[in-house]
Amino acid sequence: MAHVAQAARESLAMDESIRHDRAVAGQQGPQRGARRLEPPARSIFDAERTETLPGVLVRSEGDEPSPDIAVAEAYDGFGHTHALFREVYGRASIDDNNLPLLGTVHFGRDYENAFWDGGRMVFGDGDGMVFGRFTASLSVIGHELVHGVTQYTANLIYRGQSGALNESISDVFGALVEQRVLGHTAADASWIIGAGLFTDRVEGLGLRSMKAPGTAYDDDVLGKDPQPASMEDYIDTVGDNGGVHLNSGIPNRAFYLAATAIGGEAWSSTGQIWYDTVSRGTLPASCDFPAFARATEAAAADRFGSDSIEHVAVTEAWATVGLGL
Amino acid sequence: MTGDATPVMKITVTRSGGIAGLTREWVVRVEEQGDPDSWFRLVEQLSWQPRHRSPVQPDRFVYRIRVSRRRITLPEQDLTGPWRQLVDRVRDAVDQPEKD
Repeated sequence: MAHVAQAARESLAMDESIRHDRAVAGQQGPQRGARRLEPPARSIFDAERTETLPGVLVRSEGDEPSPDIAVAEAYDGFGHTHALFREVYGRASIDDNNLPLLGTVHFGRDYENAFWDGGRMVFGDGDGMVFGRFTASLSVIGHELVHGVTQYTANLIYRGQSGALNESISDVFGALVEQRVLGHTAADASWIIGAGLFTDRVEGLGLRSMKAPGTAYDDDVLGKDPQPASMEDYIDTVGDNGGVHLNSGIPNRAFYLAATAIGGEAWSSTGQIWYDTVSRGTLPASCDFPAFARATEAAAADRFGSDSIEHVAVTEAWATVGLGL
Repeated sequence: MTGDATPVMKITVTRSGGIAGLTREWVVRVEEQGDPDSWFRLVEQLSWQPRHRSPVQPDRFVYRIRVSRRRITLPEQDLTGPWRQLVDRVRDAVDQPEKD
C-alpha cells in the first residue's frame, strides 16, 4: 500500500517537475532545456576498514542487492536523494548533468564520521560506543550528497556563516529526502538529522534538531547539543571551520519555521524555495546569513507571489531567528 | 623550568568538526608517560610549516594540536606521517593508558 502511494506521489511529482523545469529553464537560459534527467548511476566501494579511497567496487547500478547492510543503505540512500532532486526539482544528479554517484563504506577503523571529499561520499562504521555505522541514517546520506549539489551550485565557502549555510543546506535536503520517503508532512516530521546513529548508550535523538536546535542530545559523555536556535546565541569559535556545524542551527530553524507555517509536504513548498535560492546562480560564495535570508524571501516571492502565504512565512521565519529586515 | 633534568612537555589534541560537530580533546603530559624519550623523538620529526595545504572537504574533522607553546591546525586529510603518529599515540595514551 505504502509503495503504491509512493509510486503515485512520485509519478505526480515527475509531471510537476517537468513543468518546474521549464519554468526554471526559462529563467536560467536556453541550454538547460536540452539536458536529460537520467536515472542514477551508483557505484558503492568498500574501503575494508582502511583509509584508502576509493576502495574495492562492490556494487554497481542495477547489481543484485548486497548482504552488506552498509552497502545496501548507501545504494538505496543515494537513490532516494537522487529521486528527490530529479522528480521534485528537475535536477539531473549532483551536477545537473547526470554525474555518477560514488560512495565508499567501511572507511577507517572505528571511524566516527561521514564526509564528502569533493567527488564521493564516504562513510565510517562508528566506534560502536557512541556511534554505529553512518549509513544508518537516510538524512545523513542525503546530507553528504547535498554537499556535492552545493559544490556545483552556490559553492558556499566552508567557513564561518557561508560554511554554516553550506551545512544547513545539507541538513535541509537531507531531512527532506527522509520526509519524502516516509510520506511525512512538515507537521508529522521529526526534523532530527542523524536519527539512529547513536548507540543505545547515548541519551539523544540524533545529531541535530532543526525544530529545536540545542536539544538533540544531552548525555553524560557527549555533553549537551551546543547548537544555537537564534542569532542572539550565535557562537564565535575557531574550531570546526568557524562553527559551521554549530551556527547551522539558526538557518535550520528558519527552514523548519517556514515549512510548518506553510504546511503540507515541506519538500514541494519550502524545499522548492530553498532549491531555487541555491541553484539560480545569484548567491555569492561568501554569502552570509542576512544575504541568504533576503535571497530566500526573493525566491519565495518569485515562485509563489509577493505577499503569498509562502513569502510571508519565509519572511516571518527569518525574523523569529533574529534575521528579519 | 624547575631545573630538573627531566623536561616537561604537554601535548593537547583538539578535534572539532565532523558531521556530528562534536569537539573532543586529549591531553598528555609526556614526562608522565612510560617512555618520554620516544615522545621527544617523535616531536622532533614534526613539521610546523607544512608545504602542502589540502582543500577543505565538507564534514572532515579539523585537528588543533599544541605541543608546549607551539600550535598548528590541520585538516584531517593532512594528518599524515609524524602528525598522524602523534595524534594516534596521544589518543591511545588517554583512551587506553595500559597500552603505553
